Amino acid sequence: MSSWRTSTGIAGERAFRLATLSALAILTLFFSGILVSLAAYTDWTTFFSILASKEILGAIRLTLVTATMAAVISMILAIPAAYALSQTKFPGKDIVDTILDLPIVVSPIALGAALLVFFNTPVGLGIENNLMRFVFEVPGIVLAQFTVINALAVRLLKATFDGINPRYERVGRTLGYTKLAVFFRITLPLARNGLLASAVLTWARAIGEFGATVTLAGAMKMKTETLPVAIFLNLATADVEKAVAVVFVLIVIAAGALMVLRKMTVKREVL
Amino acid sequence: MISIKGLSARAGSFSIRDISLDIRDSEYFVIVGPTGAGKTILLECLAGLHRLRSGEIHVGERDITSLPPEKRQVGYVPQDYALFPFLNVRDNITFGLRRMRHDKHEVNGTVESLAHLLGIHHLLDRNVRTLSGGEKQRIAIARALAISPKMLLLDEPMGSLDVRTAKFLRLELKRFHEELGITTIHVTHNLIEAEEMAERMAIMNVGKIEQIGTPERVFFYPQSAFVSDFIGTPNILDCDHCNDLGHGLMEAVCGGVPIILPYQGEGVRKIALLPREIYVTARKPPGPGLNRFRGTVTEITPFSSLMKLKISVGELSLVAELPQDIFEEMDIKTGQEVFLILKLRSLKVH
Repeated sequence: MSSWRTSTGIAGERAFRLATLSALAILTLFFSGILVSLAAYTDWTTFFSILASKEILGAIRLTLVTATMAAVISMILAIPAAYALSQTKFPGKDIVDTILDLPIVVSPIALGAALLVFFNTPVGLGIENNLMRFVFEVPGIVLAQFTVINALAVRLLKATFDGINPRYERVGRTLGYTKLAVFFRITLPLARNGLLASAVLTWARAIGEFGATVTLAGAMKMKTETLPVAIFLNLATADVEKAVAVVFVLIVIAAGALMVLRKMTVKREVL
Repeated sequence: MISIKGLSARAGSFSIRDISLDIRDSEYFVIVGPTGAGKTILLECLAGLHRLRSGEIHVGERDITSLPPEKRQVGYVPQDYALFPFLNVRDNITFGLRRMRHDKHEVNGTVESLAHLLGIHHLLDRNVRTLSGGEKQRIAIARALAISPKMLLLDEPMGSLDVRTAKFLRLELKRFHEELGITTIHVTHNLIEAEEMAERMAIMNVGKIEQIGTPERVFFYPQSAFVSDFIGTPNILDCDHCNDLGHGLMEAVCGGVPIILPYQGEGVRKIALLPREIYVTARKPPGPGLNRFRGTVTEITPFSSLMKLKISVGELSLVAELPQDIFEEMDIKTGQEVFLILKLRSLKVH
């Protein structure tokens, strides 16, 4: 009786492992299949000449510059905001939390449309006319990317700060450090992995941002043409080879970002 | 002297109320109590890490009640030590010193003397992640001492150590304390640790101090039902007279019963022994008859998973405890004759 039970136990475990591994295999095949078909479709001699074209080089440059700016601004605001969200209690915190989370779940194109509407209000028009132009301009790209990625940065950083044992900061205070000094000398070093992860992931997300960008900044060739916009424009004119080349560039950037992240984050058990 | 007057503080729905406590210079003071007694909050109030609702804290002449932690010069060792994982051992120790902008020579000198005192020379360049629990404890103490604090606060310093390491480190901690003479406040839930370390101790329960005194005083004169229960409700025997037996032993006669003790001087007036440390057996035990007595069971009361037996020996009435299963195996009934063994080691005298 007991041996029969044991064998079902082992057989059950095997079946479970088989099921989970199959799902993993299906997913891996699906995504690698897409990559392979892409590679098979590409004509590699034209690929490099397309890459070297003024349009694509410009798109690469514009994308890297805008995404980096959006990621930097986003981190500068998200680090203190996420810390406050993690460590401070205040009335209405749930509401603030929900508002900051909205951009993660709302479609980017809806966010872009909302931004567009905002710039038609008196306040928005005032900004447009007196401070800086966003609508159908390059700053609009940065703003669109920022709007989409900021929630992600706050979310990742809040999880990081939540995971830091407050005892480290307390010890730091008794060792003569002010609250601010403790933040820079203890909290941020402890949050290193989370900081890197959110910086890289939000940057990569900004690189790929399309919906909000196209709505607010438009899809103007050579002007507001980021890499995702370039795919859209070239598919629209049936220039599939060019579109595929850009897809490759995006994949390479994404893969590079993930690899950098793996290299830079160190595994560290909690003490 | 550290003087705490009428201190109250709150953490969520829990609060500590009206704590008043004077701790002498160079004293080793232990705060002991069950989990949830508010010991850690009290310690955090002293370090400036927890806001007071009312009360005052003075160190010597100085009122530190409203000083932020960085200005209090308090050496704080939190539970599980919280060594900074991004720094090696040396940088952990010098973390506070570097803030005070001492010159490099001075910093190295302090590290040297602390390493010598705590025996941690060989650890200085190690990664803190690779240290054992006992090593972490010493590094955390070194880090706290490096800023030349006015007092040392230890929160459950033996909490995560195995029994043997903890035993060794208790002796070590005593030695550091004797050498440095720093006023030390040690928080623990472990009564044995408290008795062994404390010059004086405070027993805390649900946010209040139940009793303050030397371990001996608390043990022989518990002031509340809680304290008595917490220390295990010992049998306290009044001694009639004592005889020196030589060979480092003495005999104290309590209620007509002669009890053999390691020599304590002539003046043993009371002996305490815990119910769980009285060994009861239905049959006459073999071996020499040292501290073995014949008695009669007068009362049997179940007490959670234990049985409490009241046993009369001569003029004495002792309470002994037995686990339920052992009690049932022995099949003891009221009025039955039993044998008692008092362990020499577990006798406390006053």
